[in-house]
This record gives sequence, structure tokens and C-alpha cells, in this order.
Amino acid sequence: MALRDQLRILVVDDMSTSRGLITQALESFGIGNITTAADGPGALQSIAKSPVHLVVSDYNMPGMDGLALLQALRQGAATQGVGFLLVTGRADNDILQRGQQLGMNNYLTKPFETADLKGAIEAIVGRL
Amino acid sequence: MSDPMQEIRASFFVECEELLEGLNDGLQAMDDGDRDAETINVCFRAVHSIKGGAGAFGLDQLVAFAHVFETAMDAVRDGKLEVTPEILALFFQCGDLLYDLVRLARDDQELEEDRLAPVVEQLEALVETEEEAEEAVDFKPMTLSLDLPGLAPLDAGDGEGDGAAGDEARGENAGEGDGTGPFEITFTPLPDLYTSGNEPLFLLRALAALGTAQTRCSWDTTPPLAEYSSATSLLTWQITLETDSDEAAIREVFDFVDGLCTLTITRGAGAPDPSGSAPKPDMANDEPAPPASGPGSTPPPPAPVPDTPPAATAGAAPLASPVPAAPEPEASAPKPEPKPAPAPAPKSAAPAPKPAAQPKAEAKPAAANATVRVDLDRIDRLVNLVGELVINQAMLAQSVAAADLGGNGAIASGLDEFQQLTRDIQDSVMMIRAQPVKSLFQRMGRIVRESASGVGKSVRLTTEGEATEIDKTVIERLSDPLTHMIRNAVDHGLEDADTRVAAGKPAQGNVTLTASHRSGRVVIEISDDGGGINRKRVQEKAEEKGLIPPDQALSDSEIDNLLFLPGFSTASEISILSGRGVGMDVVKTAIATLGGRITIASEPGAGTTFSISLPLTLAVLDGMVVRVGSETLVVPLSAISETLSLRAGDNRAIGPHTQVVQVRETFVPLIDLGTELGYSTPRQNYEGAIVLLIAQEDGSRAALVVDAIEDQRQVVIKGLEESYGHVPGVAAATILGDGQIALILDPSDLLANASGLSRATPKLAEIA
Repeated sequence: MALRDQLRILVVDDMSTSRGLITQALESFGIGNITTAADGPGALQSIAKSPVHLVVSDYNMPGMDGLALLQALRQGAATQGVGFLLVTGRADNDILQRGQQLGMNNYLTKPFETADLKGAIEAIVGRL
Repeated sequence: MSDPMQEIRASFFVECEELLEGLNDGLQAMDDGDRDAETINVCFRAVHSIKGGAGAFGLDQLVAFAHVFETAMDAVRDGKLEVTPEILALFFQCGDLLYDLVRLARDDQELEEDRLAPVVEQLEALVETEEEAEEAVDFKPMTLSLDLPGLAPLDAGDGEGDGAAGDEARGENAGEGDGTGPFEITFTPLPDLYTSGNEPLFLLRALAALGTAQTRCSWDTTPPLAEYSSATSLLTWQITLETDSDEAAIREVFDFVDGLCTLTITRGAGAPDPSGSAPKPDMANDEPAPPASGPGSTPPPPAPVPDTPPAATAGAAPLASPVPAAPEPEASAPKPEPKPAPAPAPKSAAPAPKPAAQPKAEAKPAAANATVRVDLDRIDRLVNLVGELVINQAMLAQSVAAADLGGNGAIASGLDEFQQLTRDIQDSVMMIRAQPVKSLFQRMGRIVRESASGVGKSVRLTTEGEATEIDKTVIERLSDPLTHMIRNAVDHGLEDADTRVAAGKPAQGNVTLTASHRSGRVVIEISDDGGGINRKRVQEKAEEKGLIPPDQALSDSEIDNLLFLPGFSTASEISILSGRGVGMDVVKTAIATLGGRITIASEPGAGTTFSISLPLTLAVLDGMVVRVGSETLVVPLSAISETLSLRAGDNRAIGPHTQVVQVRETFVPLIDLGTELGYSTPRQNYEGAIVLLIAQEDGSRAALVVDAIEDQRQVVIKGLEESYGHVPGVAAATILGDGQIALILDPSDLLANASGLSRATPKLAEIA
């Protein structure tokens, strides 16, 4: 059985458009276990109910940004090991460095092609 | 809309409007002096999100512009750029351009570059010096060992990368095979099982009914989709059944598919000792018993979830703490709620062949707020149907009356309830169509900015009552008249800065737009704090243009109303704003077609206020059904202030064709509806005549003479203009309960066109 059949991914983005796009792309890779959340707190809630292997999160979100979510995940005993892919409009040094310190697994710059997303995920979890 | 990408694209544009609204709100707040970091952040994020979405759809022009805009905002956000009124004005302009770009992008169009270029230049100039050379950060992706296939130690989210949890899981599986635990059943249907019409789901349900079952489906043998064949059977179910029944009872379930499946039943492990495999106490959400999911591994012992219904058990992951009594694992176990607990791998999720759908289906609630988007056509259809219902209800009431059944208590009260429900349904449906005026007001913000810069004035728009809701159609059709009035207010209403300062006012002019509900109508007011209407000049202009005879003694209100005469324009010099051939008469007509009325109030030196009063909906109105000659007519109830029966001496003639009625201390012009509409000849004697006293927004009144008042009821408005064009004095038509068609009168129009009340002599509009 392929990895894509088992991999559970949580997509976090405040824009429903982005959630839709990423979900759409993930489905096109054959990933069926996708949950979504519209913000950081929603993501934490969702993950507590329904654990995932990988979080694909937007950086720029109201309230809790992507890195704050990452930090919260790393602090939670149950979620500290979850994979984290940050999707950001701009990969500036500050974001990447903070991400690295917090244990971000990978990042992806918007806009991206479907293949880029696949590549970014595969760099974390291996071949889908 | 079957193409998911098209659907996402459509939702992107809807989302853009929300974001643009947020941007506008944020900029407005900043304009009001708000320098809160989050306010700037909201603006930045709105532009950023639009850029992100636009990038995904290849809307290059939008992306490029949003990028420059965003960069400037980022500089503000980082404190590198100070917000000045000039910068805010530029940002507002950018917001407007962004709005245009989004609009155009929706239709696959682009904005002329020469509209963008100067703004982009200004934006770039702002942040030119801020540009910093960023070197790429050396970021190496961190891999994650998921260890999924076969072993699948995925548990409550921390299994991956956490060796301890994985080991634990496997350790727990080691206790299998002592023959005292639950049954382990492996069930693989053969193709014939399906071709003979059996349904595995029913078998699994029957099995689950024997006790507590945990069912996992494995599709390890599933080929790629392209290689699927309907003649093969691909799925295998593994069931862990905790039951008091014996093996024979289990075999009995599969009696009917004997020979159509491969079935193995073994007695599994006893409940594992929780202390042996207990997770660390601090791992609050850790799952002690993740299942093995590969074909080679034996499923773990079941969790004794007490009294869980079979369906829920099947959906729940076999993760619950094996022995609830043990303190540590209990604390760490997920609550045994009916919602599927953290289901590990998809194969273990549900007995249905598509377990993947389950987690996805429950994924939404976090994001969803309690709204649905509905196609407007569907709502309009509903509105129409409700209209029919109202007519139908009226017809039924009439039939009941005709059949003389009104005395029957049950029928009468049933009919009453029916009427009440009809009205409630109608109100509810109208509420669906209602929208806050906020979006309209925001557009006016832009009009103010553009007009003000066009005539070199400094103007701010203050809005109140943005949450007031009106029918969507009304909002759409208000846009043009409101735009025109706002332009007028900026262009003509407000003085230039020098004049204002000389008059002791702040240099910046103020235009206020308010919306409110007032006695079943919506009132929108556009007011400026300008010099007020120059009545002397207005009268002179009207005389020059031959609209009124010279040297007439006119009241202030009469002079103000001259503005609504066709062809009237006070702009002595044609500015870029006015001079488009659109006058206030067009505004008045537009408002009137919405069933609305417009009035002016002006105070010299203090400003002018235009009030537009609108019905809440265009679909129904409360009307008074009257008879004139042999015709039945409907007069909008909102226009009628009172009804009277004339006594001898109440009316008097003030001219050959003009009669007035004395109502208490005032005289009101009398209009004989029958004569006016050509249904009857003028009557000689008005004694005993029924009169509807019409009160207009501007305070003018008239007495309409009718033959009889028949009823007061809600009527459904059926437009006439599509078929007949505008008929003076007539707003629309309706269908009455008996199926008869009745005209709905437009009192203001009627009065304005009434004989003896020609537009050129507003003097007669009221004689007090």
C-alpha cells in the first residue's frame, strides 16, 4: 500500500480558496485523508480530535500565524512529532530562520505548482 | 460548475470581495486615526491573500499590483514607513484599483496599464529605499520517518518520529493468541459473493450486533485505479469482536455466504496489561494501542468500549484504553464519544469500502461559519412562489367568504392561522433577500474620494447604520442615484476650503451617509455640511430656464424641490463630475421606481440633507383596496395618513378646476381619482365623499377622492413596466383574491401629474 493511502494531512488556511486549492492538489496525488481548518486554534482542535501525520499551513493568518501554530504543535505532547509544511507568500530570512528553530519540516512559496507541493511533501515524508 | 477548479475560482472572487471589504474597513479605521498594529495587519493580510489566490489562478496583473501594494503596506507594518494622509489616500486609491482589478479578472479582463502605472510608481517610490537584498536562507527540509506501511504506528498524531510510541504499539500487539480474548475474524468476499447480490455491510452489521466489533478494511491488494475490474474482489475485512457468543454464532452470520468468501475465525489475545504498555503520563493525547494494519500483522485486541452502538464502534479507531479502570491509560485515552476517535490508518476506519470519505467529511466544521451561498435565481423563485401563496391565500379567504363559511369557527381560525403563516413565510423569505447596505456605502466611499480629488476638495465620508438591511435589488438599483447624489454633495454641496475656513468651518468637508429603519421603511440620508442650497440662485436659474414663471413667491421647500425638475442644473461651470446630463430628476425617477420617495432639507450655511425613503421589499406591499367608478385600485398604505368622509363645507373651490379640503387647520388640494384617471366625470357635490389623505415625504399632502374603501391587505406587486412602460400615476399591478387585476397607484407620481398640479407650479402642492 502506498504512503498516499495512509497519510493523513491537515490543511490550515484562513482563505477557503487556498484550502480548496491545496485540498484539490492533495487529492490529485491520491491523498484522501485530508482535514482542513481555517485558523490555528481550529487546527489544534481538529488535530486533537483527528490526528494527522502532516500539517500544511499557511503562514499569514489572523490571530495565530503559521509559525505560532507550529510552535503550539511542538509544545503539545501529542503533536510535537507532526510534520509541518509552511506555505508562505514570501520566504524571507526571518520566517525561515524562526521556522527552522521551531522545527519546521519544509516550506513552500506561493504561488506554487501542484508538482511543487508534491515535492515539498515528499521531501518530508518520502515518495507518495 | 462541475469543474472543481472553476468552483474554487468562483469562490475566490467571492472571498476577494470580503477581503476588499476588510481592507476598506481597515483603511477607514486608519483614516480615523487608528494605528493599531492589527488594523494594519488586517489590511496587509487582505492584499496578501488576494495576491496568493490570484497567483494560483494565474491572474498576473492582479498579482503584480497586489505585490507592490503589499510591499508598501509591509513597510508600514514594520514601522519603516509612517502613515501620512497622503499615503492613506494612495492606499485608498490602491484599494479601489485592486477592486477594479478583481472585478475585471473575474471576467478574464485586465485593467489598462496606464491606470496602474502611476500608482505603482508612487508605491514603489515609497519603499524604494526599503528594498533590502535578501540572501536565500539555507533551509534543508527535515524528513519525517513515518514508518507507515505494514507497521503503521500512527497514533494520536505524535506517533511518527516518536519511536517510543511505535515500539509501544508493537509491544502491545505481542500479547496475542492466548485464546481468551475476543474473536479475530478475517473476512474476504469472493467475487461470487457480490455477483449473487450479497452485501458485506449487512454481514458486518450482523456481526457487530453480537457484541462490540472493531472493523477494519484492508485493501493492500488494491491495484491502481486503472486496473480495477468489476469482476474481482479486492477488499478484506478484519473484525475484532468482543462478544459473549461462541464461534458457532459467528459462523451463523456467514451462513448465507458459505462458499462465497474466505473466513477465518480465531480467538485473539486477552486484554493486555495496561501498565505494561502504558504511555508516559504526560502524553495527554497519546494512544496506547494503535492498530496494526498490514496484512501480515495481527490486529490488536479490541478496546472494550462500553455500550457503544455498532456503527460508532466501527467508526471508532481501536485506540481506546483497553482497561478503563487503569488510571494512567484512562487519563490518556480519548473520550469514548460517539464521534470517531482518532482513527489511525484509513483501512481501519469503517466497514464501508470508502473509509477515506469519513475523516474528510468531518473536516469542515472548524472552517464553516453558519452561512450558505445560494444562487439568487433560487431565492427569486422562492419569492415568486411566496407571492403566489399570498394571492392564493387571499383567494381562499374570498372563496370561504363567498361560500358563507366564515361563521364556521374551525375554518375561520384555520384561515387566520394560514394568513399569519403566509405572512411569516413571506417576511422570512424577504429577509433572505435582504442585505446590509455596507457594500453600497463602501462603494460610495470611493465615489467621495474620486469626486473630491476631481474638484480639489478635501472631503471625508462618514457612514452610519451600515448594518441596515434592504432588499438586494433595491441596493443594486440605489447605486446609481446614490453615486450621483454623492457627487452632487461633493461638487455643489460643499464649499471650497477657503470659503469653509472663512465661514469658521473645518477645511475638510464632511459628507454623511446614514441608513436606518423607520416605520417599516428604510431611510437613507445623504447630508453634507456645506453652504446649503442657495435658494435665490436656484429660483433665478429656474426662471432663466423657463421652468417657473418669474417673480413667484415660493416657499423654501418649494424652491428646494425645483432641483428635481427635469433639465435643472445649478452648476454654473460644468465640472468633470456634473454635466453628464443626469439631473436630480433622474435620481427622483430612479428612487420612485423603487417605490421610494426623496425629500430635501437644507439650511443656509449648515448644509443639505437628502432623505430617501424606501420600501423594505419590492415584492409586496400593504395596500388599501379602493373602488373608483367600476375599477378596483390599490393605494399603498404607507402613503395614506388618514381617511375621512367629507362633510358639507369641508371643501371649497379656489379655481375653476381646483378644489381644496379643509383638514383641521390646513387646506389640502383635492384630487378626484375618478376624474383624474378618466373613470368618471367630476362630481358636483363632495359631501359624503370618501377621501384618502396622502402625505408625502416632503410634507406636502393631497386628498384623494374615491368611491369606496373595500379592503386593507397585502398585495403582491406585479411589474407593468416591462409590458406597458411607465404609466403615469401607476406603480404596478396586482392580482386580487378573486383573480381580478388591480392597478397599484403611485400617489407621488399621481399628485405630481395631477391636473392643476403641473410640475411648473409647485406652489400648489400645498396650500396652508
